[in-house]
Amino acid sequence: MQNERKVKTILAVCSRIILGGVFVYAGYLKAVSPAEEFAYAIEGYKIVPVWAALWTALTLPWLELYLGLMFATGLFTRFCAAGIGALLLGFEVLLTQAWLRGLPVTSCGCFGANGSSSLAGEFAQNIALLVLAVLSFRHGAVFSLDSAVDRHG
Amino acid sequence: MQHTKTARKLVIASLLIFAATLTTLLARQLNLGPIRTVPPFRAFGPKTAEIQIYEYTDFACPSCQAAYLQLEEMLKLYNGHIALNFKHYPLVSIHKWSFHAAAYADCAGAQGKFQEYAALLFKNQELWGRAEKKPAEFFDYAKKLDLDLSAFEACSNKDETIKGVKLEMAEGDLKGVNATPTFFINRKRVVGTLQLLDAAKHFDNLLKK
Repeated sequence: MQNERKVKTILAVCSRIILGGVFVYAGYLKAVSPAEEFAYAIEGYKIVPVWAALWTALTLPWLELYLGLMFATGLFTRFCAAGIGALLLGFEVLLTQAWLRGLPVTSCGCFGANGSSSLAGEFAQNIALLVLAVLSFRHGAVFSLDSAVDRHG
Repeated sequence: MQHTKTARKLVIASLLIFAATLTTLLARQLNLGPIRTVPPFRAFGPKTAEIQIYEYTDFACPSCQAAYLQLEEMLKLYNGHIALNFKHYPLVSIHKWSFHAAAYADCAGAQGKFQEYAALLFKNQELWGRAEKKPAEFFDYAKKLDLDLSAFEACSNKDETIKGVKLEMAEGDLKGVNATPTFFINRKRVVGTLQLLDAAKHFDNLLKK
């Protein structure tokens, strides 16, 4: 029982750091690149008008960067896990509708201009990340800034 | 007690956000982000060359014309050791037809004649650069180079072509480019022909490394 809890905790902490790192990386790559680049990728999903795509491209990378950083360090862990989970679900909806409509999405926009795999590949990758988010939400609060503040606060 | 803890967490979160913002903005200014590649027809020299030059240029700018000639010489002189990547940065507020010129040059590039078309644009920039109406020269040069004119025109109206130029302008803005020609030589910013010549003096040192 004790061992099982230990394993869960280790897995959850690793999940938190990996998922947070992925979001920091994805957000950083897009934030240091022209917003238009990401906006063109968003336009490819044909779900929002051009102005909204640019607005999203200007804000989303920073949101990913901040959420990822707070999540990796374990600050407001459950809130960040929920936020990241919601973003991932949103991405899944976008990918699914693109697949159902047969849209020729050449770059998912996930990591800026870096090459992306097929829609199915991106979908599967997001599912894996969602699992990490759920794990971290449930058991990821140890070895975190949250626990440090709670202990010493 | 709970309020104090939450307040502390909020302070830490603010510090993290501040640090992340600062780092990212600095990375933008120091050109530390990923380098967007240019289409193959705008890349000259080996990809693995020791000296990597990214040039933001405008076909209607006289200094860019001078730089173009200098770079041609440098490519010959340091053959195999320099990679020149040509990026569009038309100064649309002062050069009315620069954007069109960039798009047409890319369309010539799609038919394998970027270099020749660019040379004609630079050489005759006085002619077309000050035109009131859309210059006929864009098509004249295409004819002169035996390009497929219908494909050339179709390409110039394509969303993809226009977006390509706009994206490079946005990339230039992000890197703080505000004059042409601006070069990034092994990521180091160099502005204008004089600075380019000055930087070229250190090429031998770069090759020794």
